Amino acid sequence: MLCEECGQRQAEVVMTTVINGESTTRHLCRECLKKYKAGDLQAVLAAVLSAMAEKKQTPDITCPRCGETYAEFQKTGLLGCAECYTAFRRELTPLITRVQGRAQHAGRRPPVSEEEQARQTQMEALRAQMEAAVAEENFEEAARLRDALRALSAAKEMKA
Amino acid sequence: MSDIVVSSRVRLARNYEDLPFRGKISAQQCEECISRTLSALRELPEAYTYLPMQGMESNEKKVLMESHLISPDLLREEEGAAVLVRTDEKIAVMMNEEDHLRIQAFAPGDRLPEAAQNAFSLDDTLQKQLSFAFDSQLGYLTACPTNTGTGMRASMMLHLPMLTLFKQMGKVGQLAAKVGLTLRGIYGEGSEAQGNLYQLSNQVTLGRTEEELTQAVTATARQMAEMERVFRERAWEKDPVAFEDQLFRSFGLLTNARRMNVKEFMAHWSNLRLGAAMEKLPVHTEACDALLTAAQPAHVLKAMGSALKASEADTYRCDIIRRAIRGGN
Repeated sequence: MLCEECGQRQAEVVMTTVINGESTTRHLCRECLKKYKAGDLQAVLAAVLSAMAEKKQTPDITCPRCGETYAEFQKTGLLGCAECYTAFRRELTPLITRVQGRAQHAGRRPPVSEEEQARQTQMEALRAQMEAAVAEENFEEAARLRDALRALSAAKEMKA
Repeated sequence: MSDIVVSSRVRLARNYEDLPFRGKISAQQCEECISRTLSALRELPEAYTYLPMQGMESNEKKVLMESHLISPDLLREEEGAAVLVRTDEKIAVMMNEEDHLRIQAFAPGDRLPEAAQNAFSLDDTLQKQLSFAFDSQLGYLTACPTNTGTGMRASMMLHLPMLTLFKQMGKVGQLAAKVGLTLRGIYGEGSEAQGNLYQLSNQVTLGRTEEELTQAVTATARQMAEMERVFRERAWEKDPVAFEDQLFRSFGLLTNARRMNVKEFMAHWSNLRLGAAMEKLPVHTEACDALLTAAQPAHVLKAMGSALKASEADTYRCDIIRRAIRGGN
């Protein structure tokens, strides 16, 4: 099997990481293991990116906002602006998951605006009403509420 | 636990949503980043000093770096780079380093949650007025994708002379790697850790909460401290005279030498800190920790002022050391 880090060399070592009782197992080659031990994720990322560049795996994408190309990112390991995360999302997500081990943020978030808070309260109310409608077998009403919920949640995603 | 953990530090990386990251930012946008941050901080009762890198004297920058208020990367930056330092030096905000903002909070000893709380409260103040780049899946967005998520680096500075002496650092480093943390020397280059000082910190920033990260670092640091204590006890029991001899030789040199470079100082400082922590030498760990910074090259040059020549720095360092240990003389 190939190393899960660089995807280039043969994996020779199994590394198990335990964080707060949760363990992840990764198959690595010796080169990548060394970088891991040194604890430098930027070095790991740089290695993955240069391995990709060597294999000419450079997607032809440019960030519409700052003009950064994927090739530039492969060279520097740095993104040009927040929008790059959207422009390169398809390529970045597996890369980030590989380096970070996870793909879903946990932890602090920016404060929610009053508008957003109102929307969330409204959604919770709709959800409760929908569940009540289902319990009463009032399916017509439940469907109407479900559509209202969908519209609200779509509006939120558009904003985000 | 100040016998082994010298200090705790938390860093948060934040970027303004609408400004390009460091690689693509214009001089004008750098200014915008700074003025936004400055005006948001005006809300706070605590005073911050604004220090732009451009035009700052090079030794002055090194003083900030030795105090860990700025990073080596910021030191090399000129245009647009700046730091805001809270008057009590417990918080510093680097601006236009790799990310727009790097909020740093410091606490002495094993007090990571306190440092984290200070960083969060500043983060909250800023976020009330300003929008940071954030994605519900990837968290806070950073210039380098290895920092996304919490954008947090929680670290502790550990003094591990006996684990180093008994060649345990390889094993200790593996212990850190196993739990997703990293351990590296702070002073000195390559594998050499001057003063036997190490920094333990998280490498992963995504998918764990800030509390999980601070807990992981704290728990592992305490485990390492316990190992260090075992080796200290063992070395002491094996040959107390040899042990004390080492400590007192360093003490003697530090209090009597008249010319000492920083490398030699670091070696003896380690014994001084060890002797203080084990209550074998007549000095407090707090004094040792203050001396560690005060005796670094840029700090010595600054303290000397312009009346003395740079070639006299190694002599002046000895004055600083004696004053710190004996309180004068």
